[in-house]
Amino acid sequence: MNCDKIQDRFADYLTGDVDEASRRDVQGHIVACAACREEIENLTAVWAKLGVLPEEQPSGALRHRFYAMLETSKNEMAAAEKRPARAHFLSGFGEWFSFRRPAFAASFSAFLLLLGIGTGWLVSGSGGKSARLSSLQREVQDMRQTVAVSLLSLPAASQRLQGISYTAAVQNPSAKTLTALVNTLNTDPNPNVRLAAVEALYLFRNQPGVRDSLIDSLAVQDSALVQVALIDLLVEIREQRASEALKALIKTEKLNPDVKKLAEQGIKQLI
Amino acid sequence: MDDENSNGEKTGRMPPTDNELMELVRDGKVEKLAILFERHQTMLYNFFLRLTGNRAASEDLVQEVFIRILKYRAGYQGENRFVVWVFQIARNAHVDFLRKKKGEVALDDQFAEAPSQEPLPEERFEADQEAVLVRRALDKLPPKKRELLVLFRFQNLKLREIAELLDVQVGTVKVQVHRALKDLSRIYLELQGGKAS
Repeated sequence: MNCDKIQDRFADYLTGDVDEASRRDVQGHIVACAACREEIENLTAVWAKLGVLPEEQPSGALRHRFYAMLETSKNEMAAAEKRPARAHFLSGFGEWFSFRRPAFAASFSAFLLLLGIGTGWLVSGSGGKSARLSSLQREVQDMRQTVAVSLLSLPAASQRLQGISYTAAVQNPSAKTLTALVNTLNTDPNPNVRLAAVEALYLFRNQPGVRDSLIDSLAVQDSALVQVALIDLLVEIREQRASEALKALIKTEKLNPDVKKLAEQGIKQLI
Repeated sequence: MDDENSNGEKTGRMPPTDNELMELVRDGKVEKLAILFERHQTMLYNFFLRLTGNRAASEDLVQEVFIRILKYRAGYQGENRFVVWVFQIARNAHVDFLRKKKGEVALDDQFAEAPSQEPLPEERFEADQEAVLVRRALDKLPPKKRELLVLFRFQNLKLREIAELLDVQVGTVKVQVHRALKDLSRIYLELQGGKAS
């Protein structure tokens, strides 16, 4: 074996993908050839060093974005299947159903409006189409939720506010929609968006887990405005379990005095 | 909505292979893409991270790959391993990314910082320093050689699969791997302040 052949074998040698004869050939050569020996030592060392590069984990935001995208695709496919007669109308749907399109939100609103008008027409028109109607209504609801959840993950506060207003029109929010709203309430950088989330969650106060989330959120909020809105809400819905959270809030350092006062009043009202 | 969530297909004892899942996705069960995403997002993210040195861009690229998988699902043949097909898509997405970003400087500073904020234990310090040096050496390789090494070293692709991906002969891949490693070794030693061989 000559030095050139070593080059051909080296990649296999590294992966261990060589038969015994080849391995003996390579070893036989490097015993005799100091240059190849040194080279193989260097390359094996750098090969091993590449192994110290750590594997990193992508952030949760990637997962969030992926599922929003998948949800959108699923819904559009389901919509296309449910109404084969309108397949031609929906075929271009996926093309414009993209949040990267600036005009998306506006055109989607128009779409919902049309769907709403259609629903109204069906209601007034014929009573025998109730099955179709309920499926259409459900579709509108599902769409709205998909859009809302996706809007909530967008960078512009105005879009997230729009997402919240979409959820407000939903009758039976999915767990996913509720989670997105609670996440917005707890993590959105913009206090106005968080305030809007409080109001939307008020509408869903009887859904499972929402009250607990609202109570837990007290400990997370740093804006006095949002704290006040949460306290008002919890007092209004007579959520007695909030007392403990309010007591904890009062003990918080640097708490706004007005918020403190309101929390103290709240505790009295909840007893 | 409930009827859309049902999983009609039978579940075998073995977890479904990537190919089986992708065939289901192709045939309309797009929700199965979630399993493929969970299986491969980290691997793809690290592939892009090693190529671009940019975390945000790497996440964008992973998302782009899955968007393209859905878009081109009808063309999935299942002849090769699923990951080979995915890497074809990933490489195209990366080329498009480079085209868009042409002129911008790579943010290799991101790698100067440790991935976690907590202080490093002493025994990890040395390994971490070495990782920074290896990372810099890799960044200094020409993009094609870097890609080849990343595919070969980290992505568990066989030489035959890499050859297929790059559309060259297996022998060519072997020679290129050898040369790329030689270059990397030289750059690494230079950065280390030692003598280049």
